[in-house]
Amino acid sequence: MNKNFQRDVFNLLLKQGIENFIGVPDSTLKEFIGEGLKHKKIIISTREEEAIGIATGMTLSKSKSLVFMQNAGFANSLSTITSLVQMYKIPLIFLIGWRGYLPNDAPEHKKIGKIQPELIKILNLPSKIITQKNWKECCLWALKKNSENKVCSLVVRREFLD
Amino acid sequence: MIRKEAMEILIKEIGEKPIISANGYISRDLFNVKDKKTNFYMIGSMGLASSIALGVALKNTKKTIFVFDGDGNILMNLGSLVTIGSLQPKNLVHIIFDNSSHESTGGQPTNSGNVKIKKIALGANYTVYEIKTEQGLMKILKKIKKDKGPVMLIIKIETLKIIGKRITHKPIKIKENFMNSLGEK
Repeated sequence: MNKNFQRDVFNLLLKQGIENFIGVPDSTLKEFIGEGLKHKKIIISTREEEAIGIATGMTLSKSKSLVFMQNAGFANSLSTITSLVQMYKIPLIFLIGWRGYLPNDAPEHKKIGKIQPELIKILNLPSKIITQKNWKECCLWALKKNSENKVCSLVVRREFLD
Repeated sequence: MIRKEAMEILIKEIGEKPIISANGYISRDLFNVKDKKTNFYMIGSMGLASSIALGVALKNTKKTIFVFDGDGNILMNLGSLVTIGSLQPKNLVHIIFDNSSHESTGGQPTNSGNVKIKKIALGANYTVYEIKTEQGLMKILKKIKKDKGPVMLIIKIETLKIIGKRITHKPIKIKENFMNSLGEK
């Protein structure tokens, strides 16, 4: 399993002007977060909604921000996404680790993993699945959305079991 | 003291400095006491005022950033105290209007009378003051100018049966006003 592209994703986004990376750790995003920690650019919050709040404050200060989380935390954040991020039009980039993508993932991830694509769709949240092959174009797409003051999300599938 | 009275005293000291105000009656009262472009009125997302203020404080270290929070609001996001206490923004003043109730939803009780927010905040590396009177509030507001944040003022207030008018600005306008005002030195 080659997950190194996550380190490239971090470095590209940092180089292209994303200044803040805030979230709750997720094993699917381990390499991304690891690279961010190496650069001392990560803020770990206690919950995902809190991360969105901090990122919102930074974005209001014209400092571009990304929020990372597992899809379980994304589900926790639905109300914050609708009544803060979307209502005030805060241009955040979400990076979401998708547990339950594999149907035989651990039981706690199955249901939420199954409805993950529908949750994003129903929220009207522009989203792309980011992989080893397309990571660069996905990052450029997200950066473009961000520069147009639009919120968007990048989803990393959990393609292995441990 | 009722919340509006406390806010009137606070506003005299705060002037044009940024305030992030929690949803419900807190934002409504601020809007009615002193509407200004440096107010970020939250309309929804209960609990997150202090998190937004943390983000603003970390990016505007030369400005003092105020949070107008409620006991019900902070009890919904106690983790915020942990993150703020860890990052230690020196320019954050966290004001809690404590009436031990969810006044905006009909006055149902919170547990701030049973568990001391003061003790939790002290454990999270805040400098904390509890205030019960208008004179006390005026005195503490002078004193905290010398304190390094994060500072918390827990202002005990009485509940009031009069409801303030709703905020008439559109959310996008609130955001634009606030962002533009932060850009001004």
